[in-house]
Amino acid sequence: MANRSRQLYQPRRNNSSSSYSSYSDSTQSKIPKACNQNSNSSSIIYSNKTSSSSSKTGEFTSRIENSNHTDGDQDPPNLIGTCPFMCPVGERERRERLRDLAVFERLHGNPAKTSPALAVKKFSRTISSKDMKASDVRPVPVLEETLNYLLDLLHSSDHPFDVVHDFIFDRTRSIRQDLSMQNIVSDQVIRMYERMVKFHIISYHHLHRSSQTPNTASMSHLNLEQLMKALTTLFSLYEVNRASHSASPNEAEFFSLYLLLHLSPDNQVEPLSLWFRRIPSSVMESRAMSFARRILRYYRLGNYKRFISTTEEEASYLQYCIVEPYISEVRKLAVSCISYGGYKLQPYPVEHLSKILMMKESDVEAFSVDCALETSDDGTGKGLVSTKQAVINKTSKEHNKYYELDSSRIERLCAELPAL
Amino acid sequence: MVAYISMGEAHRRITEYLTRFSDAISSQDGKSLSRLLSVSSDSAVLLSLADALNTFQDANRVIRQSERFSQYGDILLHVFRALQSYRLKNLVESYMAFEKASNAIVQEFRNWETAWALEALYVIAYEIRILAERADMELASKGKTPEKLKGAGSFLMKVFGVLAGKGPKRVGALYVTCQLFKIYFKLGTVHLCRSVIRSIETARIFDFEEFPVRDKVTYMYYTGRLEVYNENFLAADHKLSYALTHCCTKKEANIRMILKYLVPVKLSIGIFPKTSLLEKFNLNEYKDVVLALKRGDLRLLRHALEEHEDRFLRSGVYLVLEKLELQVYQRLVKKIYIIQKERDLNRAHQIKLDVIVKALRWLDIDMDVDEVECIMAILIYKNLMKGYFAHKSKVVVLSKQDPFPKLNGKPVNA
Repeated sequence: MANRSRQLYQPRRNNSSSSYSSYSDSTQSKIPKACNQNSNSSSIIYSNKTSSSSSKTGEFTSRIENSNHTDGDQDPPNLIGTCPFMCPVGERERRERLRDLAVFERLHGNPAKTSPALAVKKFSRTISSKDMKASDVRPVPVLEETLNYLLDLLHSSDHPFDVVHDFIFDRTRSIRQDLSMQNIVSDQVIRMYERMVKFHIISYHHLHRSSQTPNTASMSHLNLEQLMKALTTLFSLYEVNRASHSASPNEAEFFSLYLLLHLSPDNQVEPLSLWFRRIPSSVMESRAMSFARRILRYYRLGNYKRFISTTEEEASYLQYCIVEPYISEVRKLAVSCISYGGYKLQPYPVEHLSKILMMKESDVEAFSVDCALETSDDGTGKGLVSTKQAVINKTSKEHNKYYELDSSRIERLCAELPAL
Repeated sequence: MVAYISMGEAHRRITEYLTRFSDAISSQDGKSLSRLLSVSSDSAVLLSLADALNTFQDANRVIRQSERFSQYGDILLHVFRALQSYRLKNLVESYMAFEKASNAIVQEFRNWETAWALEALYVIAYEIRILAERADMELASKGKTPEKLKGAGSFLMKVFGVLAGKGPKRVGALYVTCQLFKIYFKLGTVHLCRSVIRSIETARIFDFEEFPVRDKVTYMYYTGRLEVYNENFLAADHKLSYALTHCCTKKEANIRMILKYLVPVKLSIGIFPKTSLLEKFNLNEYKDVVLALKRGDLRLLRHALEEHEDRFLRSGVYLVLEKLELQVYQRLVKKIYIIQKERDLNRAHQIKLDVIVKALRWLDIDMDVDEVECIMAILIYKNLMKGYFAHKSKVVVLSKQDPFPKLNGKPVNA
C-alpha cells in the first residue's frame, strides 16, 4: 500500500537493563486525576522527537509523553497484522460457542450466530505481544474499514444510545490496541485516532446531558479516561509526524480540545503552564487555540459574561461538547456573584439574567431554585433576590441539571451528528 | 580529530590513568576519582587518554595485566569505551557505556563504608544527565526516538535509592534529587518529582538541614517552581524566598533565575518589586507588568503579555501573570474613586458603570456595561472591592470603609 507508514525505531534493550526497569511504567502520560491507570505493562514509545522547527527558541524542548497503552504490551514493534476480517476467525468462532455476542453482532438476532460482516474484535485486557499472532491482528486498511463500520452505527437509531456507545467504545479500544501493537505512524492512522477521539467527545456530550444515574456516571468516567488516552496518543503521533514536516490540518482543534478539558485545576495532572511550553507555535497561533485560551482566561478570571457569550459565538461543535459541562458551573458563579454583591432592595431582573446567561427565563427561575436562591416579583418583573450570603458550593456536581444554551446557532450545531 | 601518537605513548597514558584510578580508590581520594570520571569536561587528561585509547585499541589487555587494575575491570572497560566514543562523537555509544560504568561504580560504592566517594558520585550523576542529553540530541537529529534522558532518570532513581538510608552517604541524596529534577523538567514529566519530594520531605530518612546549602537552594528553586505551576502561591513564595536568601550573592545568574519565578508570585500576593531590582537582574520584561498594576492600566498589562508572550509561556508564568488582570481592574476603579473624591467627597463612593466603560475606552478597551457589571460583581465576590452594585441604576456603590482591601501577602480568593 502506498501510504507513508513508517516503523518507529525501537532500540533493542540489551544486558544491563536493570536500570530501565521499574520506572518506565511511571512515565506513562496521565489521565485526569479521577481515572486510574489500570495497567502494569509498559507502553510503546511513539513520541519524543524534538522538532526544532516548532520549538520557540531552538532549545531542547520537552516532549509530549507517550501514551499509556494499557491496551498492549511494549515490545517487538515490527508486528504487522494479517487478519483480513473485522474479527479474527478464532475469536469469532469461540464467541459464537460461548454465546458472547453483542447485539450488533448477532445474525438475525440469534445470540449464538454471527458472521464476518458483523463480528468485531473485542478489546482484551490480558493480551501480551508475545502471544500475539499476526493472524490475530488486523492491518491498517482493515482497521480503517472496521472503524468506518463502527462509526456508522452511531447514526442508527435502532438501539438506545448507551448500548451503541458501549459497543463502539469497546471495539474502538480494540482498534487502538491493534494499532499500538503495530506501532505505525501515518496520516491514515492519525486520521483514525482523530475520528475515535471525536467519537469519545460526542459520547462525552451525550452522557453529560443524559440523566445522571450511577451507570451513566461510570460510563462517563470510563469514556473520559479513554478519551484522554486516545488524545494523548494522537498528540504523540502528531509529534512524530511533525518531525517529517507534515502537520495534520486538524491538529490545532485537537490541542484546543485538550485545553478545554483542563480548564479547572482539579482536572490537571500536568500543570497547564508546563503543557503550554510544548505546544508548537503554529498551533498556538491558530484560531482554535486562541478561542480555547480566551475561554480559559474568562474561566480563571470569573468573567462569566464573556465565557458564555464567546462560547455561543465561536465554539465549534466539538469544542462546544467539551465546554458545555462548564456552563452550569459558570452560571452558578454568576448567580452567586449577583446574589452576593447585588443591591438588596432591587432584585436583579430575571429578564436580564436570561440574556447574560443565555437561558430562557423559565429556566433562570428553575436554576435559581436549584441553587437555593429566591426570585421575587415586585410587579415590574421577576428578579433574583440578593442575600449577601456566600455562596453555593461550586463543586457540587450532583445537582447539575443542565439548562440549554438559548441560542439558535448552538441548536443548529448540536442538531446533527457531525461527519465522523 | 584523533591526534597521532605512538603505541608506546598510548600505552603509557593508559597505564597512568589506571594507576591514578586504583590509587584514588585505595587512598579514598574522592576528588581525584571524580576528576577521572568527568567525561564531558573535555579536560586535557581525559582527551589525551581518549586519543590513546583510540590508538591502542586493546586497552582491555592492559587492564588485565595487573590485579590492581583488573579488580575494577567492569568499571574501567566501560569508562574507556565511554571516553573513546565521546572523543569520536558517538554520543549515544558514550552514554550507554558510561551508564554501565556508573552502574558498576555504584555497586562498589555501596560497599565502601564511608562517604569518601560522594564527590565522584556527584560527577557521575551530573555526567549521566549531560551525556544523556547529548545522546538524545544525536538520536533526534537522526530521526530516532530520543529516550536516553528518560533512562538516565531511571538510573538516577536507583542511585537515589542507594543513598536513601542511614549513614553519612545520605547527604548526597539532595544533589542526586536536583539532577533528577533537571531531567524531569527537561522531559516535561514533572509528576515524577512527586515521589522523590515525598522521600526527601516526609519520609523520616532525611534531615533537611543536613544537606549542603548549595543543594538546598537548588532543591527549593525547583520545588518552588512546581508550586508556581500549581498556583500554590504561598508555598511558592516560601520556597523561592528560601532559595533567594540562601543563594550566594555572587551567583547573579542563579538569583536571576529565582527572581524570574518569585516576581510573578509576589505580584500575585500584592507585593511589588523595585524597578532597580528588575533592572539589576535584567528582568525588564516585568517592568510593564508592575507599572500596569500600579496604574490600573489594563491596556499596558495586555500589551506586556503580548510582547513577551513567548518568553512567559516558555518559563511557565504566563497564566500567573494573566490572572493579575483582576488586580489591575481593582486599581483602575480605585483611581476613579480617588478622582471622584477630589471632586465631591460625599458622592465619591458611587461610581457609575458608564464612567468605568469610558475609562476603559480611553485605554482602547472595548467593554460594554454588562461586562463591566460582571467584572465589578467578581471583584466584590473575591473581596477585591467592598460594596455592592445596583443593576437598575447601573452604579457600583463602594463601602465607606476600606473599599479596596489590600491583598497583604495573600493571593486573590480562588
